[in-house]
Amino acid sequence: MLRSLLFVLLFSLPVHAATLTVDVRDSRGGAVADAVVYAVPEGRELPPSKKTAVMDQKNRMFVPHVLPVQTGTAVRFPNSDDIRHQVYSFSSAKAFQLPLYKGTPANPVVFDRAGVVTLGCNIHDRMSAYIVIVDTPYFAATGKKGRVAIPSVSAGKYAVHVWYPEMSSEPPPVPLTLAAAGNKELTIVIRK
Amino acid sequence: MPLRSFQAKLVYLTVAVLVLLQAATLIAVHVAGQRTMHRSIADELRVGSRVLDRILTVRGRQLSVAVRALASDFAFREAIASGDRPTITSVLSNHGGRIHADAVFLIALDGSVAADTLDAQYVSRPFPLPSLVREAQRRGEAAAIVTFDERPYQIVIVPVLGPRPIAWVCMGFMIDEAVLNDVRRLTALDISLWNPAAGDSPLVVSTLRQDERAALVSQMRTLSPKSGDVDETLQLGRDAYQVLLHPLQTADKSKINMLLQRSIEEAQRPYRRLELQIFAMSTLALIAALIAAIFFARGVSSPLQRLAQEAQRIERGDYSTAVGIRQKDEIGRLANAFDQMRTGIAEREDQIRFQATHDSLTGLPNRTLFFDRLSHAIASAQRGGGFVGMIMMDLDRFKEINDTLGHHFGDDLLIEIGRRLRQTLRQSDTVARLGGDEFGVTFLAPDTGHATEVARRIGSALETPFLLGGVSIEVEGSMGIALYPLHAEDASTLMKRADIAMYDAKKDHVAFATYEPGRDEHSLRRLTLLSELRHAIARDELELHYQPKIDVSTGKAVHAEALVRWQHPVHGKLPPDEFIPLAEQSGNIGMITKWVLRSAITHCGAWNASGLDMTVAVNLSALDLFDAELPTYISGLLSEVGLSPSKLVLEITESAVMKDPTYALRILRDLKNRGVTLAIDDYGTGYSSLAHLKRLPVDELKIDKSFVLNLRDASTDDIVIVRSTIELGHNMGLRVIAEGVENAEAWQILKKLGCDMAQGYFVSPPLPANEFRVWVGNAQNGGGDFVPVWTAAN
Repeated sequence: MLRSLLFVLLFSLPVHAATLTVDVRDSRGGAVADAVVYAVPEGRELPPSKKTAVMDQKNRMFVPHVLPVQTGTAVRFPNSDDIRHQVYSFSSAKAFQLPLYKGTPANPVVFDRAGVVTLGCNIHDRMSAYIVIVDTPYFAATGKKGRVAIPSVSAGKYAVHVWYPEMSSEPPPVPLTLAAAGNKELTIVIRK
Repeated sequence: MPLRSFQAKLVYLTVAVLVLLQAATLIAVHVAGQRTMHRSIADELRVGSRVLDRILTVRGRQLSVAVRALASDFAFREAIASGDRPTITSVLSNHGGRIHADAVFLIALDGSVAADTLDAQYVSRPFPLPSLVREAQRRGEAAAIVTFDERPYQIVIVPVLGPRPIAWVCMGFMIDEAVLNDVRRLTALDISLWNPAAGDSPLVVSTLRQDERAALVSQMRTLSPKSGDVDETLQLGRDAYQVLLHPLQTADKSKINMLLQRSIEEAQRPYRRLELQIFAMSTLALIAALIAAIFFARGVSSPLQRLAQEAQRIERGDYSTAVGIRQKDEIGRLANAFDQMRTGIAEREDQIRFQATHDSLTGLPNRTLFFDRLSHAIASAQRGGGFVGMIMMDLDRFKEINDTLGHHFGDDLLIEIGRRLRQTLRQSDTVARLGGDEFGVTFLAPDTGHATEVARRIGSALETPFLLGGVSIEVEGSMGIALYPLHAEDASTLMKRADIAMYDAKKDHVAFATYEPGRDEHSLRRLTLLSELRHAIARDELELHYQPKIDVSTGKAVHAEALVRWQHPVHGKLPPDEFIPLAEQSGNIGMITKWVLRSAITHCGAWNASGLDMTVAVNLSALDLFDAELPTYISGLLSEVGLSPSKLVLEITESAVMKDPTYALRILRDLKNRGVTLAIDDYGTGYSSLAHLKRLPVDELKIDKSFVLNLRDASTDDIVIVRSTIELGHNMGLRVIAEGVENAEAWQILKKLGCDMAQGYFVSPPLPANEFRVWVGNAQNGGGDFVPVWTAAN
């Protein structure tokens, strides 16, 4: 059983803007794509999001592969393929299914509990995607370079979490204090 | 069918060879079959083990496909995702039931059992085969054979996808009889699962019958074969099985074995059938060969048997039947050669028989056949009565004819005589040439007169002169007649008696004579004497007697005629008449003559030496006149004894001289020249002419006693003959002597007729030499003149 270790390297940088930039690296120093980095403020309750997000289906793939959203976000699952899909989730954070459909279903799915939802298509076993629901508005998913920049992060104490698809358990969050207008850069190395 | 016959031999041989061949074939087929069978069983077992492995592998794969399909069922996944254990357990048994899984486990991602269909026995415990789960994680699935509850299962572990693995589902499928039966259908092998770890019932599953299972268990305990060994044989019930122990590849290292069994009985069945077919074909071939051999052998042996029978018939002397085998093969040629041999033998036998029974010269039956026919004729006369006549004839003077005219002429003459005889006689009469110039005739005679009639006919048939090669010749025969049953009871005696009669005829100078009873005994005595005569001289049985011849004018004994006597040890004293002819016939006469000459000359020499003036007279045989040495011998004797030749008189009969007058005359002249006195004996009985007599150099003439014996009175014819003979003799200058003077009348008559000398019983019988000497001495001393005995007695 894979046991991941988390190494957190903290760099003390001068705080000059409220932008949190995080590099996610694997143990060999490679960029980790599709990792979700999110900073959870400590000691503060943040109101649920009223935003919407989109999990598209193109060429029998979920796009994006990893979709981080804030709790309470309604996600629409438009079908851009000319074939039908049946999207489902058995995840405890949000179990649902969208019977075979084309185009965009009328009602989006609201994800009101933090957690990870694994998406699948019942008729296309190879299609899978993750919706990572976090209780914070400060989150982002890494691109190919394994780097995220979370802007407009208000000053305060945070726990910076990293999630990535193949992890067996969540690495311990990295505590971080942000100044009002100070930018912060952080590199998180995961055991992968 | 005899054991040793050709037919039997051929049949036995054929059968034996075939049986051997077929037995060899059957044995070879059987041995090869057994070997092949065992090898193929071993192959089958090995193939079976591979097939079994393969089947299990395929089954595992099929199962995993099925399990995987099941695990991706949305409802199933949904139920699993529900996290509700009762729901999960029910969906496990429900969906597991769809593919006939015997046990289903849901394994959480952490390796613990989340749910099972075995009454939750394993829930919350680590799954017992974590390595399989790891393999499933690695490869997306895992399939293996494991043991649960001492029973083998094929298990498959696949992930439950959501779509990422959310759990593992493990399904177990018991390897049961159905699986084994599948394998059995494919391989024709019986299969048992053998788990030695399970103490009481190591035989987990088997395709064997119930009764065989128990036997298998008990035998496996004692045998414990090694894996891969195919040579073990188990006897299960009635069937024998060859077994292969093949370990199953289990994931949990449990030692479960597949025991593959091949029924030897079943494997043998095709070989058995093959053997049975070969046996049936062999039997058919054997029967066919047997029939063929019998027919062939009969085809050979029955003609051979016929040939053998034919040979036996030929052996018995039956040449009449041909074999009658018309075949173009070797047997036909043999039969043909056999027939030729048969006719050849028949011809030759006819020829031989003819030669054996016929005379080659005249073609007439020979003595053998004659005797045979005579015997038959006698035998039939014994039954039917009547007479059997037999005439034996030989030719007079045949030797002379042969000598003077040659043997060819003689042969031709014999042939011609045979022909005439044959023509003269009836067809039923037998004419045979008995040998030399001797012919035999036999015939059935109604009465005794018939035989003389036949003899007379033969005589007249020979009367006509024979004209052969320009020579005309007259032939006379002497015939002896004998008749059955008058003269003999059997053929050989009859022939002998005819022979005797023939000699009588010859002696009596008649054409034929009939046998006189009693003649034969005489003849027999002659024959014995003949053989004894040869030894008579050596045994000193001969003796000389002397009979005086008296000078009629002076009455003095002047001559002594030497007469030989044979003092026979059995018959007593024999007169010369009885044995001299025998000596002549046997050729011993010369020897006797010489003995007589020597004795007589010796005696006479002694007498003269003693002062008795005496001349001795010795009789010569006709045969002596052919002995050219005789004159020399006599001269030698005379000089040896010292006797004057004039004191010896040799008496020769007329007929002796007539045998070969020329030669005899030469001898006589020789003797005469030596000074010996010669006398003609028995004068008057022969046929010699006076002219002939005149040429003989003789000095004396002895009148035959037949003329003298009856000289009693002057009235008889004999006196005329005696007188004329005396006159004739005197006229020719010969002294005349009368013999057989037995009475005084004859003496007186002879004296009156002027006979020179007289001899006879009236004077003296022949006396032994010493008595003769005494008698002469007495007579001369008595009165000087001869005085007749009876006169002196008076």
